Amino acid sequence: MTPTERPDAGRQPRPDLRVQPMFHRVLSAGPEDVRQALTDLRGRFEAVVDADAMGRLELVLAEVMNNVAEHSGTPGVAPGLMHLCVVMHDSGLSCAITDNGNQLPPDCLRPRALPVMDPLDLPEGGFGWFLIQGLTHSLCYYREDHRNCLAFTVPWHPFS
Amino acid sequence: MQLIVNETESQLSVTVAESRIDAAIATRFKDRMKEIVGRGRKPVVMDMHRVDFMDSSGLGAMIAVRKALPETFPLILDGLTPNVERVFRLTRMDSVFQIRPAPTPQE
Repeated sequence: MTPTERPDAGRQPRPDLRVQPMFHRVLSAGPEDVRQALTDLRGRFEAVVDADAMGRLELVLAEVMNNVAEHSGTPGVAPGLMHLCVVMHDSGLSCAITDNGNQLPPDCLRPRALPVMDPLDLPEGGFGWFLIQGLTHSLCYYREDHRNCLAFTVPWHPFS
Repeated sequence: MQLIVNETESQLSVTVAESRIDAAIATRFKDRMKEIVGRGRKPVVMDMHRVDFMDSSGLGAMIAVRKALPETFPLILDGLTPNVERVFRLTRMDSVFQIRPAPTPQE
């Protein structure tokens, strides 16, 4: 087919659509698949996102997706499935993660402090939601029938 | 799991030759490192310059390793890359380890 001019495009065609990378993946909710998705995500955005924002994005998504991997599916039978979508916006990298696991406990979304630092018995966990909350804005959660939907933005510049 | 161990009279050096300490390997990493530092009973220096990503499960593993080493022996983390240093800093765990960041690469 030979390209032709659109007959009704008019004198002032609409502005160019912005073409920029986005990322969508349906993956099995297990640590190996999470690692692969994060590696591919880095490959997709690395050339257009600065190293600091890329590092914060990867950390937040690792924390969210590892939580999904831990709490979805039927243990010992089959892992759950999750969907990940990341798009670039003027304010940062907007992310949505949905999965068919159990409902997110409301505590996860309440403001979090670091786990108590007992020098004689340092905490080995409890950092995940603290990191997610501290590195994102517009964090929101919705339960739709049997699905968890979590969305947030990782800003271009870190919070001071 | 790629850990290169070099033991001298005065210290134990461990080069972490993995690019990621994440949920996929955190438990194996923790178990292997605890075994290494547990038998040495001397200061430990971990060369971290090849690790370019760590999540909170990796941090948990590092804390478990710190706890496996008697408090009198330092655990020095050498050559932390920015992504790894960020996790220690945000969780204030940079006060628990002796941290030496990687030199800024020269363009």
